[in-house]
Amino acid sequence: MTAYLTLELRRALRDRRYLALVVGWPVAAYLLFSTVFGSAADRAEGLDPHVEIMVAMAAFGAMGAVLMATGPRLATDRQSGWARQLRLTPLTAPAALLARVGAAMVVTLPAVCLTFVAAVAVKGVTLPAWEWPVMVVVLLVGTAPFAALGLVIGNLADGDSAMGMTTIAYFALAALGGLWMPPKVLPAGMRAVAHTLPSNRLAELAWRVAAGHAPPLAAVGVLAAWSGVLALGAVGLARRFAS
Amino acid sequence: MSCIASLTAVEKSFGTVRAVDGLTLAVAPGEIVALLGPNGAGKTTAISLLLGLLAPDRGEAALFGGPPRDAVSRGRVGAMLQDGGMLDGVRVGELLGALRSLYPAPMTVERAVNLAQLRGLERRRTDRLSGGQAQRLKVACALIGNPELIVLDEPTAAMDVEARRSFWDAIREQASAGRSVLFSTHYLEEADATADRVVVIGGGRVVADGPPAEIKATVGMRVVRVTLAHLEPAQLACLPGVTSVSTHGARAELRTTDSDATLRALLSGWPTARDIEVAGAALEDAFLALVAA
Repeated sequence: MTAYLTLELRRALRDRRYLALVVGWPVAAYLLFSTVFGSAADRAEGLDPHVEIMVAMAAFGAMGAVLMATGPRLATDRQSGWARQLRLTPLTAPAALLARVGAAMVVTLPAVCLTFVAAVAVKGVTLPAWEWPVMVVVLLVGTAPFAALGLVIGNLADGDSAMGMTTIAYFALAALGGLWMPPKVLPAGMRAVAHTLPSNRLAELAWRVAAGHAPPLAAVGVLAAWSGVLALGAVGLARRFAS
Repeated sequence: MSCIASLTAVEKSFGTVRAVDGLTLAVAPGEIVALLGPNGAGKTTAISLLLGLLAPDRGEAALFGGPPRDAVSRGRVGAMLQDGGMLDGVRVGELLGALRSLYPAPMTVERAVNLAQLRGLERRRTDRLSGGQAQRLKVACALIGNPELIVLDEPTAAMDVEARRSFWDAIREQASAGRSVLFSTHYLEEADATADRVVVIGGGRVVADGPPAEIKATVGMRVVRVTLAHLEPAQLACLPGVTSVSTHGARAELRTTDSDATLRALLSGWPTARDIEVAGAALEDAFLALVAA
């Protein structure tokens, strides 16, 4: 299982297009948004705009890394027949799933960390030392619902359409969840929607940590609920295709 | 447990199509069994049932006397599927190394690479292999765990002649080390040359089951080919031992259970007969006759 996890990790880290998308983009978007909106006085969560945008982009990068590493890759493996071949090895289906999800969650690290590095190096962001590792951990663990969503997409779509479906889900969740512009500037109705979305709640975990607080239980609850529902959906779909 | 793998009166339908219809099949220790049949005969479905990838509608599939999935999860079976693919984005050596770690008593990556004729390709990415190389990698994946039973669904598709020959050498070597092998093929000469036993299936049922020689004997042991000035198929069919006649221009092909008697009668009745050939019936002849019957 560890060896298979390593194999999945290697595969993700060797995929240059994937790395450019999930690491390059959040960093570039951070530098752009932070430069354009960084002087806006009143931003969400009572944070310095540079910090608020840094966390939003780290969350954006983390969810993208997990979505792209689960959905399209599972669809490709199902289409190529590898998923079937793997069922003929002693690796059990739950272990294969754990390796896939584990590898996907680990590759959130470069996206999150490089966004932080860009914030510190380019925008001079400073935060208490303990907050950095805690933010990295909550952003990693908080991607669970996106891993489950990726598995739903990977089970539904074939290799070609999975990339498109994943990209649409990725951008829709990011935009509606207030990662590109804070919920505060949105109309009340859209703000209510944002608070139900895992993308917004993922960023909220780290926003609160950046503000020196513990991650709020409501956010954890929303993320757990999404994870549960989507995981059940993914398992149901996988069963349907397995028989 | 004397039986390594068995299907007992299994049935499997997909919608209204009955892919496997009361199939019974067993593989004994150290035996090489060929599953032979035309496309759509139910070979792949039978193999999927045996490996527990599909559940039978009726009947029972067993590996080592237990549920197939148990044997798979204990690493006692190595298999390659016709529609099984490869993980992309990793190197051949990395893939085999990771798979190896899943089995209790695997062979070395080097040995699997040698057996499957993949030397020099260890650092090649799996998505950059040719069709034949990818097929050989699947073979390596089936062998790496040192399984007691090797199941191969149309293993030599996409292999060239040389690769095919070394593949069968490797499989025979595995069998002589006491492993059982079940393979499906439509390369009839492969079943003839490699298998201890041939199971012919058609329409989801077993049509014949026995050693290659016995399969051939059941439908006429020899083929006599002869060129005649005047072809009279009806009279040729009455010659002693002849079971069937086919003609191609001036040339007749007689399938016979007793080629000596057939030839004596042929030469006395048609003194001008020329270019006479007598050959053992290829398994293909047996196969076509059995499936048509």
